[in-house]
Amino acid sequence: MAKTVDEIADAMYKLVKDAFGIKKLKPMDLTKAMMELYEGEVDKKTCKAAIKQLIDSGKCVYTYFGGSYVEIPHKEGSANE
Amino acid sequence: MSDALPKTPKLDELEKGKWPSFVTEIKMAAKKSPMCRDLLGQLEQSYEEKIGYWKHGGIVGVMGYGGGVIGRYSDLPEKYPNISHFHTMRINQPAGWFYNTDALRKICDIWEEHGSGITNMHGSTGDIILLGTTTDELEPTFSELQKIDFDIGGSGSDVRTPSCCCGMARCEWSCYDTMKACYDLTQAYQDEIHRPAFPYKFKFKFSGCPNDCVASMARADMSIIGIWRDDIQVDRAAVTEYAKNGMDIKADVVDNCPARCMDWDGKEIHIDNQFCRRCMHCINVMPKALAPGKDRGAAILLGSKAPIIEGALLSSVLIPFYKMEPPYEELKDLLERIWDLWCEEGKNRERVGEFIQRVGMGNFLEAIELEPVPEMIAHPRENPYVFYEEYFEEDEGEEEESES
Amino acid sequence: MAEPTQERRTDYGPPHYEKFLPPIIKKNYGKWKYHEILKPGVMVHVSETGDKLYTVRASSGRLISVDKIRMYCDLADKYCDGYLRFTSRHNVEFLTDKQENIDPLIKDLQEMGHPVGGIGNAISSMVHTQGWIHCHSAATDASGIVKAVMDDLIEYFEEMKLPGKLRIALACCLNMCGAVHCSDIAILGIHRRPPKIDHEKLHKMCEIPNVTASCPTAAIRPATVDGKQSVEIIEEQCMFCANCYTVCPSLPLNDPLNDGVSIWVGGKVSNARHEPMFSKLAIPYLPNNPPRGPETVEAVRGLVELWAKNAKKYERMGEWIERIGWPRFFKMAGIEFQKEHIDDFKHAGLTYKRSTHLTY
Ligand code: HEM
Ligand code: HEM
Ligand code: SF4
Ligand code: SF4
Ligand code: SF4
Ligand code: SF4
Repeated sequence: MAKTVDEIADAMYKLVKDAFGIKKLKPMDLTKAMMELYEGEVDKKTCKAAIKQLIDSGKCVYTYFGGSYVEIPHKEGSANE
Repeated sequence: MSDALPKTPKLDELEKGKWPSFVTEIKMAAKKSPMCRDLLGQLEQSYEEKIGYWKHGGIVGVMGYGGGVIGRYSDLPEKYPNISHFHTMRINQPAGWFYNTDALRKICDIWEEHGSGITNMHGSTGDIILLGTTTDELEPTFSELQKIDFDIGGSGSDVRTPSCCCGMARCEWSCYDTMKACYDLTQAYQDEIHRPAFPYKFKFKFSGCPNDCVASMARADMSIIGIWRDDIQVDRAAVTEYAKNGMDIKADVVDNCPARCMDWDGKEIHIDNQFCRRCMHCINVMPKALAPGKDRGAAILLGSKAPIIEGALLSSVLIPFYKMEPPYEELKDLLERIWDLWCEEGKNRERVGEFIQRVGMGNFLEAIELEPVPEMIAHPRENPYVFYEEYFEEDEGEEEESES
Repeated sequence: MAEPTQERRTDYGPPHYEKFLPPIIKKNYGKWKYHEILKPGVMVHVSETGDKLYTVRASSGRLISVDKIRMYCDLADKYCDGYLRFTSRHNVEFLTDKQENIDPLIKDLQEMGHPVGGIGNAISSMVHTQGWIHCHSAATDASGIVKAVMDDLIEYFEEMKLPGKLRIALACCLNMCGAVHCSDIAILGIHRRPPKIDHEKLHKMCEIPNVTASCPTAAIRPATVDGKQSVEIIEEQCMFCANCYTVCPSLPLNDPLNDGVSIWVGGKVSNARHEPMFSKLAIPYLPNNPPRGPETVEAVRGLVELWAKNAKKYERMGEWIERIGWPRFFKMAGIEFQKEHIDDFKHAGLTYKRSTHLTY
């Protein structure tokens, strides 16, 4: 059964949330994790759409620390008031 | 009141001299912008103490985009509260950096209202750089920019804002329409520019001829450099004219030809075009008499980058000649094959050039389904340890041969 | 993060360039036949149609205020029917089909403090990066040194008296945002002290696996310091690249005592004559000495003049040095050769002299 964008977005969100503060995940890490988890049930396009949904909804944000990552919104260490 | 400019004896030294002074510019903006007043203060302190006072911010941006904003915070926010946030926005420049004054004035008005009022025209990526604003002003600035059709450029692990030389707009040597190609690919890859999905950054630069005015050889992952296949066009009368006006054609042109493929007999110039390396030297020296041939296109090179992380690279040839006509289908197909492979197998922060070095050019070509050609190399391998992937077995080999 | 404020558009890209092309360019697009440099900073392009387009190039200085851009706009309205452009090296260009506009335009530009030049056998504006004005990892300022160096070399921008083109660039750290690694002369900010680890903050601000993975020489290892998760750095393995600092703000390298600049020579990007080349190390270290960095200014002028005096016509810095050989270059430049000049990274062996083509 092909997974929907919503389902993938939820699964990705869980990954990102669980990894918070431990390891930063790149968009490609999320895609690869999904392809492994739901082998045969998900393609790259769906993963891409899921990431876009997470970002556009504000549930996740892109961050940049030498490379680009997807994280849950938070106040970063270096930010001033 | 804090309207007064801070005392900046060290920076003031840099208002002397004939070259345009960035200090004068910041002071000009500081008349209206408290941010610039604090910037002057902090910079003066940096000059005193020989150290910068910025913190890197990695999370600010506009909704939905993962690039185009460089987060920056002052390390001395109590002392310089107005630059507590000082983020930069990269705005995608029009191809060739042409403007009309109406568009530029609108950008100025927006930036005066929503930011520091200082800019770089342009940053070394090619973008318009709007230097310094707060997190709260990012969305409103973008919203104003939307009204005047300027979009945000790339930063992070995405396609960076492509840039090009002025090409056919003002240069007789342009072997393809650089501005059209740049615009076309910029529009085609908006998603890749705004939503970082790569292992690291990917840059395009478009130069119309091998003079490479946008330095694509050195600073683009994909360098698209105009070139021709047929013979250099020669206007004999104009050659004679140069000679008559005192040009030493032997010394200035012929002797500098790296291919040693030219001759000057005192009357006529002879070029053995099969050996010409398309280096542009003779054409650069005699623009009225010589011109690139008529069968024009581009050489596509891949992989240049600055030293981070594994050492600097120059781009190397991938496709010796490509016709470079819209809609550039084959080029886009190839690109997407490269991206797929690199995204799949590339390590975090590994540029395409480094990736190729790691997996080997031969394997890379196989994976993107491109035939190896001798134009791709400076010379064949010197090292004899070849990784052959197949070998014959005594029996099978013979049987197979006899059967076929 | 602020909420979207209006009906939002995304992914529309830059405006189409055709909107911004002066009519004479639209008419002659792709039809240019040849060009001539009329005088410093001024060229004319002649079209097959017989039309002529004059270009006046001036240094913008790169960091400019919106008021200055408006002043450029005033000039463009006055002389160029409201069009202007910028170049890849931070120059501003005014384009007009009216020859009589050239001189008054130049006069106005000069009165505004923007020197005209940078075309032909000249030094064009320096490509450079942000430095202490905006960047976190800068080992030196950028705009200040550029200003001082160009104040000193202005004659070579405003006149065309060099044997060939000369490109100078500056990057304020090894990230080399301006990709200065292929310039005739490159000024490069360098750190010389390994990161100082902020053990108090590191575990709060950075993910340790990302930090250890960031180091190209594997100099960073996880460690527990005073009961806190942190890292340790094998200092002998650090090459001061600042990768780790970009990934983790708790590993600053900036250090007033040890930061400074190095000078590199002989790179080029153009394919004219010699193939493109990387710049090579000439002077390993000069101190930061703001505001005007006299040591750097003097070193750069010395190199420019040495090349100008000795190179053959058209010979770029790198082509000249290749002809005379590096030992001769060091002797002529009066630069002491030292251990740091010899590469010791990957493929270093390729940079050793592997012949007896020696000069004495
Ligand atoms: C690990 C590697 C790199 C890091 C961490 C890095 C970081 C940065 C940062 C923080 C800025 C913003 C400067 C500011 O406005 O404060 C910047 C700008 C820029 N970077 Fe990089 N950079 C890296 C490598 C490169 C490389 C290899 C290139 C080009 C080949 C490059 C090209 C640029 C350009 C063109 C800009 C615009 C800078 C300007 O206009 O001054 N960067 N980079
Ligand atoms: C006489 C022959 C040449 C002419 C007429 C010429 C023409 C041009 C033009 C029209 C530009 C502006 C390009 C743009 O920003 O879109 C330019 C810029 C540039 N050209 Fe050339 N080019 C010539 C030879 C060369 C050569 C031989 C090199 C390198 C060795 C070179 C390197 C550059 C560089 C680095 C720029 C950027 C300069 C700047 O923005 O001020 N050019 N050239
Ligand atoms: S790269 Fe070639 S075509 Fe483009 S502006 Fe430079 S000289 Fe002209
Ligand atoms: S373009 Fe270069 S290689 Fe070809 S004939 Fe001219 S100088 Fe020789
Ligand atoms: S070269 Fe280094 S210090 Fe300079 S702007 Fe780039 S990253 Fe910052
Ligand atoms: S500066 Fe570079 S070499 Fe040194 S520890 Fe950091 S990442 Fe490693």
